[in-house]
Amino acid sequence: MALFPVQGCVEGDFVLVLVPVDDQDPMSTVALSIAHHGIGKRVAAQDRPLRVRWQGDLVPDDATIASLGCAPLDVLEVVYA
Amino acid sequence: MPRLSRSEWYDLTRDMNWDLSYVSEDEAFPPVLSNSFGVPAHDWWVWDEPYKITYTEYVHNQAGKDAGVYSVNNVLNRSHIFDNLEPGWKAAVIAHYGAIAVAEYQAGIGEARMGRFGRAAAWRNMATFGTLDETRHGQLQTYIPYQALAKEPRLDWAHKAYHTNEWGIIAARHLFDDMFTANDAVSTAIQLTFTFETGFTNLQFLGMAADAMKAGDFDFGALIASIQTDEARHAQQGEPTIKVLVKAGKADVAQNLLDRMFWRAWKIFALLTGLSMDYYTPVENRTHSFKEFMEEFINKQFIDTFRDFGLEKPWYWDQLLNEMNWVHHAYHIGVYFWRPTVWWNPVAGVSPAEREWLEEKYPGWNESFGKYWDVMGDNVRNGHPELTLPETFPMVCNSCQVPVCTPAGYAAGYLDSPLPHILDFEGRRYTFCSEPCQWVFEQDPEQFKGHLSIIDRFLGGVIQPATIPGALEYMGLSPEECGVDGTDYAWAGPVIPAEKSA
Repeated sequence: MALFPVQGCVEGDFVLVLVPVDDQDPMSTVALSIAHHGIGKRVAAQDRPLRVRWQGDLVPDDATIASLGCAPLDVLEVVYA
Repeated sequence: MPRLSRSEWYDLTRDMNWDLSYVSEDEAFPPVLSNSFGVPAHDWWVWDEPYKITYTEYVHNQAGKDAGVYSVNNVLNRSHIFDNLEPGWKAAVIAHYGAIAVAEYQAGIGEARMGRFGRAAAWRNMATFGTLDETRHGQLQTYIPYQALAKEPRLDWAHKAYHTNEWGIIAARHLFDDMFTANDAVSTAIQLTFTFETGFTNLQFLGMAADAMKAGDFDFGALIASIQTDEARHAQQGEPTIKVLVKAGKADVAQNLLDRMFWRAWKIFALLTGLSMDYYTPVENRTHSFKEFMEEFINKQFIDTFRDFGLEKPWYWDQLLNEMNWVHHAYHIGVYFWRPTVWWNPVAGVSPAEREWLEEKYPGWNESFGKYWDVMGDNVRNGHPELTLPETFPMVCNSCQVPVCTPAGYAAGYLDSPLPHILDFEGRRYTFCSEPCQWVFEQDPEQFKGHLSIIDRFLGGVIQPATIPGALEYMGLSPEECGVDGTDYAWAGPVIPAEKSA
């Protein structure tokens, strides 16, 4: 369990944000952590599940930062499924 | 005693070039401070300024200019004009003083370096006047806000800003250190006087002067119009410097120096002037949009100057034209949302009338940028202004040091991807907002690789505690100084309880 800095990119938002996430959290949790900084604040919320895209591909909801092998300050995109 | 005409003695008394015999060329003109780019010493001696002035004339002219500006200030400072200015205009003025005043003193360092290490006597003569000019600008732009401190304590940032690590000042300092504080004389002539002053200062100092007069801020208008008359003179050091380089077959050197600084200048002006012109200036007082000023001063006038010297548009020209449509709109959202991190009170500038103006000047604005303000406006109207305030930080570019807004460009249809440009270099990760920003870094990694952005400092433990309050304190912002909504959310409609400073 360790805090891990990523660059969060919420679909439809205007800026990249710095988000500390837990490297053991599933991507479903990571998505919410990132979305917290954009959805409902600058981006209208939608009633659809969120997914994480990393290096161009959607990643499984149960994957973790550690299991994927993300590097610090990798960009994680949060998109509506 | 016979009296010579000016043209008969000017060149004679000015040209004090001579061949060195007691010291080497490099000892007298160390490359790190001067940098001839391989052009032989004698080839620089043809350097000839297009605007000639003697010291007597200079002093006479400057005394008259100072008398005018200080007289206007002396009268208007006793009036209630400043108190009655619109909140948006106050934001523009307070941002201007913090970003510019001490930078003028720093520009004096660059001018003084050219005054000593410029490659020709004529140049050194002109740079000496430039040194005096910049000192004057620093004095004026700290004195006038100082006089108004009782009316607006935030004007203290005219002097304070550059002594802090506020993020916007880190961006400005990173730019200006590269441009003149830590630059050699030849590069300074091209990057400061030609690229920055000839090209861009017209935007802030002529464009904003016109807006100032319309906004009723005659003090500020008189000030920056007076400054620009000096800029128009000493900016002309760039032209003869480029001519010497081009004649020596070094056009590629001039082009590279220009390209690097032109992009950097664009980014900082988009941040400062873009917001002031399109959001802070009261809509009824706006003479032109920021994009229109860019098109007139840069795309037409300045580009013609490039061509006159045999230089070309920068390679990223299409990317510049692209960003002119969207990047400062994104910066404005960022500055507003992260308003506790700036020393002025940003106004949203998105009331119905203002949105109509934005849509007219930037077709599609409501669809592409208005949607962010719709969400923020809903939060305000629903009694949750705290949702328009940050809980983390934006990523900033390791070149321009400004937040990375590529997602806005993508969402608005101007970029193919929302993702930043990432460079892993010597074991460190760098993030860039654009291809030209990465290119600038790669032109001289030794110059830039050691610099820590505000985010690098946050992650690296430099900022303690690593929290938003800790970061605000690191940036020199006390709770009373942190920016708040300049109109107390009037733009959003229904009145809500006053916001507490972060």
